[in-house]
Amino acid sequence: MDLIHPHSVPDVVETLREASARRRRLLVAGGRAHIDKGNPCEVDAELWTTMLDELVAYEPAEMVAVVGAGMRVGDLARALGEHGQEWPVDAPPQATVGGVIAAGASSPRRLSVGAVRDTVLEVELVTGDGRLVRSGARTVKNVTGYDVHKLVVGSLGTLGVIVRVALKVRPLPALRRTVRAPGGPEAARGALQAVPLPAGVLALPDEVEIRLEGWPEQVQEQTEAALAALPGAEVEDEVPFPSRAPWLERPVVVEAAVPPSRLPGLLAGAGGSWGALVGVGIAWIGLDAPDGALRELRERAAALGGIAPVVRGPGGLGEAAPPALAVHRRLKAAFDPAGILAPGRFWGGL
Amino acid sequence: MEASTRSEDRVARAREALEEVLGPERVLADPLALALYARDASMVEGGCALVALPSSVDEVVACVRVAAEHGLPIVPRGSGTGLAGGATPIGEALVVVTTKMDRILEIRPEDRLAWVEPGVRNLDLANALAPYGFTYAPDPSSQQTCSIGGNVSTNAGGPHCLAYGVTSNHVLAVDLVLPDGTLERLGSEAPEAAGYDLRGAVVGSEGTLGVVVAACVRLTPLPPALRTMLFDFETVEDCAATVSAIIASGVVPAAVEMMDRGIVVAAERFAHAGYPTDAAAILIVEVDGTQGAVEAQSRAVLEAARANRCRSVRVAADETERALIWKGRKSAFGAVAQIAPHYHLHDCVVPRTKLAPVLTGIYAIAERYGLVITNVFHAGDGNLHPLLSFDRRVPGTLERVLRASEEIVRLCVEAGGALSGEHGIGLEKREFMPLVFTAEDLTAQACVRAAFDPEGRMNPHKVLPAGARCGDFAMAFGQDAAEAAARLPEGAWI
Repeated sequence: MDLIHPHSVPDVVETLREASARRRRLLVAGGRAHIDKGNPCEVDAELWTTMLDELVAYEPAEMVAVVGAGMRVGDLARALGEHGQEWPVDAPPQATVGGVIAAGASSPRRLSVGAVRDTVLEVELVTGDGRLVRSGARTVKNVTGYDVHKLVVGSLGTLGVIVRVALKVRPLPALRRTVRAPGGPEAARGALQAVPLPAGVLALPDEVEIRLEGWPEQVQEQTEAALAALPGAEVEDEVPFPSRAPWLERPVVVEAAVPPSRLPGLLAGAGGSWGALVGVGIAWIGLDAPDGALRELRERAAALGGIAPVVRGPGGLGEAAPPALAVHRRLKAAFDPAGILAPGRFWGGL
Repeated sequence: MEASTRSEDRVARAREALEEVLGPERVLADPLALALYARDASMVEGGCALVALPSSVDEVVACVRVAAEHGLPIVPRGSGTGLAGGATPIGEALVVVTTKMDRILEIRPEDRLAWVEPGVRNLDLANALAPYGFTYAPDPSSQQTCSIGGNVSTNAGGPHCLAYGVTSNHVLAVDLVLPDGTLERLGSEAPEAAGYDLRGAVVGSEGTLGVVVAACVRLTPLPPALRTMLFDFETVEDCAATVSAIIASGVVPAAVEMMDRGIVVAAERFAHAGYPTDAAAILIVEVDGTQGAVEAQSRAVLEAARANRCRSVRVAADETERALIWKGRKSAFGAVAQIAPHYHLHDCVVPRTKLAPVLTGIYAIAERYGLVITNVFHAGDGNLHPLLSFDRRVPGTLERVLRASEEIVRLCVEAGGALSGEHGIGLEKREFMPLVFTAEDLTAQACVRAAFDPEGRMNPHKVLPAGARCGDFAMAFGQDAAEAAARLPEGAWI
């Protein structure tokens, strides 16, 4: 397979114009951290965004950073960290900013930091036919026209190549603490009730991890509430969250999403390698193969009003059909008229 | 002559069909009703052919189908508090008013969500959630009146969006009646859904993609503690610099609201909030979270204010005092009626580090045009609300207001800002869109619109400037750009 490694935005524009004209199918790749997400698709070449990695503008007092989409998450974390700030997505350091956005990946701290989509203020996108389109603004608040940038989040590179983004960043917490206790989903639910405003509550099959972040006196207050609710808990500061991820030990990882109260129904029979974000409704579930177990999991997720796409390993997104399919098709046709961007990779065969 | 008879027939037939579904009492066509619904809270006056007040999803579907069948454009309308003309109908439109759909359908604390009909008022929802320990975070100043459906349409903001984010961050799903009458659920009760984020496109689309008939909103836990502080300054610059200093210190308060002297004086006369009326500007800062977080943030905020020469600090001692401080802020726009009978309110966003120079520029513009200008705004977000007070009955005044307004918009854009932070583009700002977007950007936006509404039936003439069109579709927003322009009322500065 061919490899295209553009140096600049005009390079990307040129590449896509030509690819559309010659019907050359492309898969957009960043740091490959999320490359498995999506249905299998045949392409003629990969387009790597990793050279579009400049820090375009960053004013800490604005809490807005404008970066090339190919910038590595780890590099961005360092640049922001120097000013006591972060982009709260918790993706692997080799992932690119554009990749995290295109995959719409969830942070383990989603309970407090929200979804990736809520941090994306502006996107510059090169459409399948090589038009450079900007949507949004470099301000934290903005209702100016249609939010093309919202459509791009989670679009898996099927509407265009994200080349530059403005991100809403936040202050790094003064203190990060994890409280771990034996238990499972039930204990985790209790902890969510008992602890005021935790950053995240992760249920594992036999354990609960509560993440506390913020000002020292706040974290202390939360710790006391957590210890009262969870007998036998241990406290550790400045450790990664989660401290372990048993689902990553399996070849296939699903990132399921259901209404939060229905997590127990999803996890019953999901094996022993999972972690679930209580109060959020995201569960990462490790499987041995994309076989019957995956099918059952998807059926359960669908019955509970959710989805279960694979985010690592084989297995694709699943059969769930997007709503308003005609609208989806018109959007795809407008942004990628020649259908060259990872055809079939997205939901609904788009 | 013949054409107008045909169109009268068309309206009469549509009216008959609507009356069959809604009954005659919920289909309005008398001159008074048509005049009432010919405008929203903006300066623009429009016109419409029919007004329908459906009370169920099925009735909305019927309205949309009847309009499609008889070729009438549809203008969805909530409480009509919009300030950009998004709900102002133009031409022979059917206005679909959703205020009769005002039920909170379900509250599910364990899923941190609630389903509401579009006519539910913002404050009523927040009050209904409070017993469960939750709130609905976006809190526009019009929250006693404005509806959730309207909030969704304009991606409404409010003082507390600084920490909690705008409407878009709090809408999980919408049930949307598309222009062809089909009903779709976009988004999900789950945190992620299959497909493109069409819900994200609908929020803030100003009623141009369909009629929202239900919204699934995210519940936000009520903070265990909060503190409201009032600072006052001898100069506007010191006040603005305090905003940047607070953010730079690593604190993101729940709200940071700034009011300049003119508005402080007006609000104080009205609300008796105890505002210092001799200050050049005041700053209302609210911090929330756990008790410890409130203490820590308060310290940092105080330090930032003192470093920027704040004159005095008032900390709300209890809920009554807090409510009073906020009453002054939230009633400010009503209070300006004391200054002059009419006002024109702007909604530009600038980077918050540019607040001071932009404000200075705005005062200079007002002075040049001999207009009274006051400012009350979401300083933490850089979301300015310059307010021009005037009497439009005085010949020539409106023209001066419009020229000053355009200069203000250009000033904000030059500072790196956006045209609207929370009110939307509507009719009032659509011709400014090329100031911030290229033709290619606008084409892409037109394509998003066309994907939902290929025939251009929903709220035509709004948001996009005349002529912006999606090349791949047989659709033109200026379908009749000339005709539309001819119908546009005087005083619309589009």
